[in-house]
Amino acid sequence: MDIEVFPHRVLGADTTEKLLNGIECIEDVKRTVIQGPRLPPEDPNENPRYVERRKITVNGKEIELKVKTGRIFIEISNESTIDEVKGICNEYLPFGFDINIGKYIRTQKTVSDNIKYGDADIPDEFVGMTDQSAKLADRLTIIEKNKKDQ
Amino acid sequence: MAQYYPGTSQVADNRRKFLNPDKKLEKLREISDEDVVKVLGHRAPGEEYKSVHPPLDEMDEPDDIVRELVEPIDGAKAGDRIRYIQFTDSMYFAPAHPFIRSRAYLNRYRGVDAGTLSGRQIVEARERDLEKLSKELLETEFFDPARSGIRGKTVHGHSLRLDEDGMMFDMLRRQVLNKSTGKVESVKDQIGRELDEPVVLGEPLDEKTLRNKTTIYRVDGEAYKDDKDAVEVLHHIHVSRSQGGFCPE
Repeated sequence: MDIEVFPHRVLGADTTEKLLNGIECIEDVKRTVIQGPRLPPEDPNENPRYVERRKITVNGKEIELKVKTGRIFIEISNESTIDEVKGICNEYLPFGFDINIGKYIRTQKTVSDNIKYGDADIPDEFVGMTDQSAKLADRLTIIEKNKKDQ
Repeated sequence: MAQYYPGTSQVADNRRKFLNPDKKLEKLREISDEDVVKVLGHRAPGEEYKSVHPPLDEMDEPDDIVRELVEPIDGAKAGDRIRYIQFTDSMYFAPAHPFIRSRAYLNRYRGVDAGTLSGRQIVEARERDLEKLSKELLETEFFDPARSGIRGKTVHGHSLRLDEDGMMFDMLRRQVLNKSTGKVESVKDQIGRELDEPVVLGEPLDEKTLRNKTTIYRVDGEAYKDDKDAVEVLHHIHVSRSQGGFCPE
């Protein structure tokens, strides 16, 4: 089953980092997707003071944060994990949030996936982790230690 | 007497306040002329106004009764270029919103061309007149540094949730909250070119004040359906338009 964490404010890099670290510590979390408005691409002329796109560290793994976190989809297997996620969110999201249960991460290959990957053998966990226009390598990070993806 | 807007709610009252040119708007902050010029980004502060035609006095214009009746605005007299300022207003209780802006501008200012879109509102005028009206728009209740944005391009953000610090999402990060002073600073001009020195736009209004000043009906604020008078007038207009359009006689 999937859950969606819907904060009432769009999160900055620092809060996203803390929240993801908390969530990734939960044993039951299998896959995590962060979704939100995209940040502009890196620009060498941009003053570093105003750049929001930065690398965050989740469980020791560096991830380039390309979006401003609007929603977090989490794949879990036990309903009891929701309370754990809720606890972490309560700590980092003082402005409020909703947790919705549903199906948020695709598990079946689509026609677009078949066109994109052809006959290549894609592991089941990779299906649904990006939108079809993006390359998996650009978007997917595998956090080995706990076997979790972002 | 002009009827600006129906309704008995606070939102309706605020709308009437913006639309009525006789009502003086409350001045909430002080922004210098030079800072306004910097934020607009059309010319460097102190630079001469560029012109697109000679001053009207020096032009040999054909005789025309309308030309005699209408006093040209300062920018037109001098032959200034037409320039613009564009605003984005958050749906989270921003003081103004595009339609009210356009209607208010047309009621309040001469020689302006207002363009309304769902998420942004642009107004064009002769350069020196634009600077004058921009200053007024930025200093008065039309503007809140956190919930309104001066955005010439890349306007996306009005319907998004606010950032953690209460600012409206801006991909280019033009307006930034300075945590040490608590004031919002404009670090880039309206199209995102970095300024040498940030322009201080003042403190964001608090939630309670914004809810009192907003012109946006919201279910979690003042719902439109609860404003009986406004709904009644809307129904009347809807029926008249439908019937008139169906069989105009």
